[in-house]
Amino acid sequence: MSVGHVARALEEAKIATIIIAVKAFETRMRMMSLPRVLLTPQLLGRPLGSPFDEKLQIRILNAALQLLEKADRKTIQDYC
Amino acid sequence: MEKEKNQESFEAFIKSFFYGKRTDLSFKFLSELALEDASTFIQNLFKDIIDSLDDKDLSIVKQRILQGQIEGYKEQKNFEYDDGPFHPFKKPLSSIKLSLLTSSGHFLKGHDPKPLGVENMSQGEAVRRVFDFLKEEPQLSKIPFDSNPKDLMVRHSGYDIRAALKDPNVSFPYQRMVNLKDQGVFAELTSNAYSFVGACSQIRLLKKTLPGWVDKFVDLGVDAVVLVPV
Repeated sequence: MSVGHVARALEEAKIATIIIAVKAFETRMRMMSLPRVLLTPQLLGRPLGSPFDEKLQIRILNAALQLLEKADRKTIQDYC
Repeated sequence: MEKEKNQESFEAFIKSFFYGKRTDLSFKFLSELALEDASTFIQNLFKDIIDSLDDKDLSIVKQRILQGQIEGYKEQKNFEYDDGPFHPFKKPLSSIKLSLLTSSGHFLKGHDPKPLGVENMSQGEAVRRVFDFLKEEPQLSKIPFDSNPKDLMVRHSGYDIRAALKDPNVSFPYQRMVNLKDQGVFAELTSNAYSFVGACSQIRLLKKTLPGWVDKFVDLGVDAVVLVPV
């Protein structure tokens, strides 16, 4: 999981990261001991939802940023 | 006798969706399911299609495929670490500088990263050569946040890019980041967002590529990076 490796390297360099991933990647995310992950109930290849669903895309991104701000330990959270 | 010899087994059928004669990257997970589970999935999907038509509710079909993908990927553990870094984030969101990096394979027209040395590689060729991609070092494409979506291209050997072709924001949410910056949710964006093809050599990524990428984000002075795998 390339992005997991990127997250780990950036966090080592004191840059915080937030990952937005589809729910199907949950096992991979957990196995990589990643800092902050928002899991979305979306199909593979569409982690922010369907094309042109701007409102949902913004809601998901906003939820990810809230998680970035609030998580004080490693957190994997479902987007509801 | 001849007919029997030419019959395809159910196992061969479901495995053919994984880079075989029926390649479909949205359904390649079928090859990860037990035969009984795969047959139940297909049977239920047919039933759901009829229900969704009757009820005019496509979410039934989406939910079935979603559950299939979750089931298909749940045993996949490519890399396993007991622990990992966590950099505490202590600034208010409204004051921070952000960037975006995705493994979705987006790039700007006229800036083809020419994977495997091939310019204008088709999506079909990228999928056919997935195992070549998995030996290659990834290349980072930079895409200005003010780019017109019509100037974006996407090519990836590992996932179904059809939605990303229609709207890059499904996996490369660069316009949505601009929306939230404009709303004052956070303070600043880097000039460019970044993307690469996540189907690449993990060893080369770890040993060769990542240190340079990290230096780049340190130099950009970002507080945090939004990451999107596909």
